[in-house]
Amino acid sequence: MIAKLKRPRVLVPIALLAVLAVLPFALPDSKYEQSVLIVCFLFAIMASGWNLISGLAGYISLGHSVYLGIGMYTGAILGKAWGIDPMWLIPLGAIAAAVVALVIGVIVLRTKSHAFVIITIAVLLSFQLLAANLKKITGGSDGLIVPQPSWAVDLGNMPYYYIFFAILLLTIVLVAVVMNSRLGAGLVAIRNDEGKAATIGINTTVYKVTAYVLSAIPFGAAGALYGQYLGFVNPLGAFAILTSVYLVLAALIGGRGTLWGPVLGGFIVAFANEFATTSSGGVSARVLIMGLILILTVMFLPAGLLPTISSRLARRRSKGSAVTFIDQAAIAEQHDEIPIGRLIARSKADVDRATPILEVRDIVKRFGGVTAVAGVSLTVERGSITGLIGPNGSGKTTLFNCMTGTFRPDSGRVLLDGADITGDKIWTRAHEGLGRTFQITRLFKSMTVLDNLVAPLERTSARQMAAGRYSGEEVERAREVLDFMGLAQFETQNAAALSFGQQKLVELAQVLMLRPGIILLDEPASGINPTLIGKLAHVIKRLNQEGTTVLIVEHNIPLVLSLCDHVHVLAGGQILISGTPEQVRNDPQVIEAYLGPDHMLEVPHA
Amino acid sequence: MEFVQVIAFGLLLGGVYALLASGVTLIFGVLDVVNVAQGAFLVFSALFTWQIWDMLGFEPLLLIPVNGALMFILGWAIYRGMVIRVAPQGPGMTVLLMFGVALTMEGILNLVFGNKFKSVTPPYFSSSLTIGELVLPWPQLISGVVGMAVLGLMYAYLRLSWAGRALRASAQNKDGAALVGISNVKTSAFAFGIGAATAGVGGVLLAIMYPIYPATQYDWIARLLGIVVLGGFGSIPGAIIGSMILGLTESFANTYLPQWSSLFFYGTILLILLFRPQGLMGTRTREDVA
Repeated sequence: MIAKLKRPRVLVPIALLAVLAVLPFALPDSKYEQSVLIVCFLFAIMASGWNLISGLAGYISLGHSVYLGIGMYTGAILGKAWGIDPMWLIPLGAIAAAVVALVIGVIVLRTKSHAFVIITIAVLLSFQLLAANLKKITGGSDGLIVPQPSWAVDLGNMPYYYIFFAILLLTIVLVAVVMNSRLGAGLVAIRNDEGKAATIGINTTVYKVTAYVLSAIPFGAAGALYGQYLGFVNPLGAFAILTSVYLVLAALIGGRGTLWGPVLGGFIVAFANEFATTSSGGVSARVLIMGLILILTVMFLPAGLLPTISSRLARRRSKGSAVTFIDQAAIAEQHDEIPIGRLIARSKADVDRATPILEVRDIVKRFGGVTAVAGVSLTVERGSITGLIGPNGSGKTTLFNCMTGTFRPDSGRVLLDGADITGDKIWTRAHEGLGRTFQITRLFKSMTVLDNLVAPLERTSARQMAAGRYSGEEVERAREVLDFMGLAQFETQNAAALSFGQQKLVELAQVLMLRPGIILLDEPASGINPTLIGKLAHVIKRLNQEGTTVLIVEHNIPLVLSLCDHVHVLAGGQILISGTPEQVRNDPQVIEAYLGPDHMLEVPHA
Repeated sequence: MEFVQVIAFGLLLGGVYALLASGVTLIFGVLDVVNVAQGAFLVFSALFTWQIWDMLGFEPLLLIPVNGALMFILGWAIYRGMVIRVAPQGPGMTVLLMFGVALTMEGILNLVFGNKFKSVTPPYFSSSLTIGELVLPWPQLISGVVGMAVLGLMYAYLRLSWAGRALRASAQNKDGAALVGISNVKTSAFAFGIGAATAGVGGVLLAIMYPIYPATQYDWIARLLGIVVLGGFGSIPGAIIGSMILGLTESFANTYLPQWSSLFFYGTILLILLFRPQGLMGTRTREDVA
């Protein structure tokens, strides 16, 4: 702990905050400076809050100042109605912002990237209009006078200074806690690849909405206070799109996704704002200057100051030291002695062993006029290695996607352990023991191999989300699973640095962390070299010996026939034949389906 | 009769919106860039129209080709100079870049024209066409009809010409288009130019309808983005439908429920997105195994 505190990245900001904490006492005549710093605090609070949803989860909100406005109006309206000391309204502002964010978040987080950006702007403008039109409550476009707190006037801005400062500290703590929790890890996973995150059990909806609500809370608290500080609120001031742009600019300059970046950026933007207003006089110059700063930042400093500085420092430090070389082909010997069964066993005992682990009944899936899957029923027996093969266009992938939840079938049912999961969310399937890999691997590229392995979640719960990122037995288990797969040496590498084959193994290891009862492998052997295919086959067999059921969709027929106990052949969206590898190999229909009816070359007549 | 009047009004308004929103959706479709500076382009074109009209006093509609060409060049240059460098960083960053462009333009326009309303008032400004009981003000009528006509021309061009086919190919599959000899940089710059040119034309049309000042760009961004989200990103028919919906809502609300019109529109957007996150005509991106 002490050693950690001595590092400059922790020490420097804490020292600066300490200076800010004593500043009003050290410089009693600093009225102007205090008022500038109050705006700095406000921007730092907002940029840090925004960082939770936009920096960590990657959902860029351009309308987040709506929650500042909600805090301001909550303070003004309730302060007037209840006549309590306005300071008590700060928590109420936070609560109001959280409640509104919950309602709005559930709707807007259904959209992604561009649409999300835009819808957040629309939400902000809607509230501006609401405030202007609900005259009875909000006073319309004239706004409201905000009740003033009861402290002595000769204290000046000092109380505001300290309360804003306190809110800033709390916000920083909030962000730090989230970043180091499993919630934070999940949000980063969502930023990397949301669809993939769902397949490893991350309830992306709950995660995103939680982050969105948490991000609104600092805005609401600061807003209630800011309204009092200004003395009045009006729709254009409270719900200003420029505020949103400035706070995004702040997070961007400092470095989004980092703890201190948005704080630093908040100070920079507030100072620039103050400079533009005082030195060149007027709004026009300010808009122009901020616009130029925004363009320059996006073009030349997209990662932000702190990440850029720290990567420069890291490069300088590593100069001269040995370069880490990742052997793209190497996989260490597997450690078969590792009791992998214990590591990945499910504790679900109440299922009848005779029930097939996975069953689909009469699945139909159409795309427009094309029927890709035309009424397929098949079962995957518990403890088996089952293959699903068929020529291109036979509907394998579509059927696979119906099982994993990527597609919803038009009719038919999917049963896991005898329970209907047809309509279940992707993450629910993961929780219930259905794991899958991808044909083209989808690891979280900006995360290390170990981070990739601790990202999967076996359930969604508040306790789980709040738990520390590396807490619990997951890390130990992840290391053992990596060791079993022969991947231990890559633990600290970025997933993007590995070769495709290595990534395939890591992805399988990642799925194992879910303790899946059944693993669906989508073309595991495609695009990797024969040696690796051999290793993969060995791993699959080992997992199967430990009780894991495996379903393989694959084009590599020799692999399927050598590995599987049972094979289903699809053709034209229907089951052609199901049987043992031996039966399938010798079936003339299968040969015909793969090669067409005229596969026998005509013997040229001499 | 008031009802018909309101509908006619809404459709004319929708015609202007459709032209502007098509520019946004075109740029998005080809480049994956949300051009939030379209409002600023528009205000720039409108104020330019005012300036020329104020100085020379001739028919503002004659400026349509001039402003269109001017904004094409500006759009092309912004793409080649800035967007192309930021694009690899993803959609969030290009939105912010275009916001920076919008703010910069607003700042410059503020310094040049001041923060005051400017109105272009040609002779027909306050006269109307009367058909039976239907009264259509000339500015609205001209703007709506010209807007739809220009949009029709643009759409026909994109459907029928080689350049249009290249644009559509590039929009659907960049790598595939490149393989068959379509330069993505050139088509993208062209698309950006065309998108900005719609704002050039639209600016002239708006100038004869409404008083303009630099900060009105926010109203326009809000409207255009709303339309595009509602209609579905990248879909020109979607943009037209969204424009008509907005035109009609505004027209109805202005007559029966003044002040609530925009709110009505945003409410509709939120409702539709709740059920169709991809917008009315948008396609859900296939999230697949590969």
